[in-house]
Amino acid sequence: MKKSRQTKRSDIKVALVGNPNCGKTTLFNALTGATAHVGNWTGVTVEKLEGTYKDKKSDLTVDIVDLPGIYSLSPYSPEEVVSRDYILSQDADVILNIIDATNLQRNLYLTTQILEIGVPVVVALNMADCLRANGERIDVKALSQKLGVPVVAISALKQKGLKELMQAVKEQKGVKREAVSFVSSGILKESVDNVMLLLGDSDSKHKLFDSVKLVEGDILTLDKYTSLASQITEIKARNQEVKNRYKGNFETCVADQRYQYINDNFSDVITVDKEKPAISKSDKADKVLTHKFWGIPIFLLIIFAIFHLTFSENLFYLSAVIPDGAFKDAGLVASLFVDTEYDEEEQSGANSIKSPGVFLQGLVEELAGLVNGERVVEDGFDENGDAIQVVEEEGGWIPQLLKNAPDWAYGVICDGVLAGVFGVLSFIPQIMLLFLFLTILEDTGYMARVAFIMDRAFRRIGLSGKSFMPLLMCFGCAVPGIMATRTIENAKERRATILLAPFFSCGAKSPIWYAFAGVLATTVGWNSELTVFGMYIIGIVVAMIASLILKKISGQKGVTPFIMELPTYHTPQFKSVTIHIWQKLKHFVFRAGTVIAASTIIIWYLLNFNFKFQMVGEEECILKVVGSWLEWLFKPLGFGNWKYIVATVTGLVAKEEVVSSIEVLAGSVEAFVSESGVTTAGIVAFMAFNLLTVPCMAAVGAASGELGSAKRTALAILFWILTSYIVSMMIYLVGTYWWTVFIFAVVIALIIVSAHFINKKRIGKKEKENA
Amino acid sequence: MQLFSSPIGKKLKIVDVTTDEKTKNRLQNIGVIVGGNITVLQSNFGDTIVRVRDCRVAMNKDVAKHVLVEVCNEEVTTDQAQ
Repeated sequence: MKKSRQTKRSDIKVALVGNPNCGKTTLFNALTGATAHVGNWTGVTVEKLEGTYKDKKSDLTVDIVDLPGIYSLSPYSPEEVVSRDYILSQDADVILNIIDATNLQRNLYLTTQILEIGVPVVVALNMADCLRANGERIDVKALSQKLGVPVVAISALKQKGLKELMQAVKEQKGVKREAVSFVSSGILKESVDNVMLLLGDSDSKHKLFDSVKLVEGDILTLDKYTSLASQITEIKARNQEVKNRYKGNFETCVADQRYQYINDNFSDVITVDKEKPAISKSDKADKVLTHKFWGIPIFLLIIFAIFHLTFSENLFYLSAVIPDGAFKDAGLVASLFVDTEYDEEEQSGANSIKSPGVFLQGLVEELAGLVNGERVVEDGFDENGDAIQVVEEEGGWIPQLLKNAPDWAYGVICDGVLAGVFGVLSFIPQIMLLFLFLTILEDTGYMARVAFIMDRAFRRIGLSGKSFMPLLMCFGCAVPGIMATRTIENAKERRATILLAPFFSCGAKSPIWYAFAGVLATTVGWNSELTVFGMYIIGIVVAMIASLILKKISGQKGVTPFIMELPTYHTPQFKSVTIHIWQKLKHFVFRAGTVIAASTIIIWYLLNFNFKFQMVGEEECILKVVGSWLEWLFKPLGFGNWKYIVATVTGLVAKEEVVSSIEVLAGSVEAFVSESGVTTAGIVAFMAFNLLTVPCMAAVGAASGELGSAKRTALAILFWILTSYIVSMMIYLVGTYWWTVFIFAVVIALIIVSAHFINKKRIGKKEKENA
Repeated sequence: MQLFSSPIGKKLKIVDVTTDEKTKNRLQNIGVIVGGNITVLQSNFGDTIVRVRDCRVAMNKDVAKHVLVEVCNEEVTTDQAQ
């Protein structure tokens, strides 16, 4: 689909390579604009970005592949392997290496490795203007001469030098460049030369690169040349100097010698005009923002502000100063901005201003009302004068159009597709707003600090600080939360974080808690605030225990060490933020239009038809029949009643559906509870089940996108079902027969202990194999 | 001397890195290399932020305790690592 869209085949294919935080993404966005699309590298969940650069004047089109940000071409992280394989494959005509001028030495560490591969290379020297502001200058000509490849000074941010850069790239296409390496002199020369002789007859396309890597002891390259292993070991053993100076550790030796070489040869391309202060502005900001004690409170304040702006119905708590009823006569347009509901009896309300998030959500709902009409449930009376609930339908273009259509057509379009899709779309404003704030925090460089300050606490439950932010987003909505797990490098940890995501009660689940907390307040007198709060706590506790168990099962030995570069703080870039948000939005709307629409049709069908394809009411529908069959399955959970099961299933579309379908099935939540005869313990178990089970379709879709395979998605769904089932059963049984608490305590302890030992055994086995 | 208990703001020299190979490699790539210089900017209960080769790197205590350093005698004048 993506290929056919291009009208003209591009002239050149370029791959962007560079360190994380060197401005690579900014450059990519500046070059490709909105043409970019996100994909995955085959087999690994490393993001693959592709786009096209077009210059109308010179009629130049360049396909650009953005390789993941890396520090080295070593074989340790999937990102490094992807980049290295891609460069070696020579799929790209030219390799474009971006260098951060303010951090030249570290960036050249990667450059010197790329130059060991004999492919055309162009170096883009980014942020040279920032360097000048610091009182330093880089001699671009000298740098180019020393590297032996063209160097173009650019500013990705200000979009300067891009044309010249693309021109240089064009000129390099097809140029034969000899591979060069720092080992051409020094203590490693002999060893590398000898290994290269060994490779003489092999089919190695990149002999110099392979030789250096073989001397270094690179696992991936060694695997390619197993037959030469003994000879290589012999050559390395002959190198007395490495033995003496580096205790025979060739990997350290190569790294050290490389840095040494960079230091000896490239120090003089930088001229220092004025000494820069020992402590930069960024360091000063860090003194406060990552402070031992202030760091976390400041962060919590920022998060509170973000959630407030996104979800609050009462912006800045202004209702404290605005008199009650101030907005009760506001018009339609004004009612989007303010709360107009005025309680005549208590003479309160209608005095708060909506947050931007709530305002935007209202806007989408208003639109949904225009298109699909509104269904208002009101108290009314039937012919005998008994009180019943009347569903009134109001307007809407589509219902008007379909007035004379058959019932099923009206139902499938209005109640099925449109209701479902608008239900999901109404989340978009808040999800996107949350994501906007997140992207801004990420873009400023603050997110790296958050990971740092939260790392210590998270390490205890088997996660690292990088999981914190995604999980926190899940309290708002699991979709952006799951999407944000991309920043976690370790694949196992990323998957574990996705599995835990639904346990953090999202905004759409809170109506369930409020509805049932209200009922429990009247039946057993529980404080409803505490009940709601308790649901959040159950979610967090389950997530902690699940995380510990997952860690044991996955066979991970401790948490991956936390090493992270903290980028210099800078103001967020409008363009990169909007492009980022736009990509997420596109992805989400696409899902709403396909997967979610399809699943809502299915559930609508199941709720309205019987097995004979006849349209019937909810009392005879397929879901009722199947729900009744499944009642025994939910007996141990205390709510073996088909209505509870149907409500839970409809929650898969969107969690708000749980309460709305309860209202459809029983009229009200109170009636729903009292008619069913489910005990208090059963009600709490039902709430816990809805909290922990498979999240809504939108979240499952996001999870499947991030998990990258159907098998992993299926396992995740199984994990959620099992967790919710087990925990709900425990709640019901302990709530009914308090002494079962001891049985469960023993069972959980046994699971953790046995998982621990199995894990230990497995690690021991692995170590034996390695030795 | 372990990195996390080193004096803040002093120029230090890395004497040894005793982590596993994979972590050691990651440290090397980011510029933490035996014989190189490093400055501790902040230490929160062992979690440490350092400056190495002109950039800031955060690491947790488990890593920082495996980076062994000694104080350089020369005064800190520039950030240039040797």
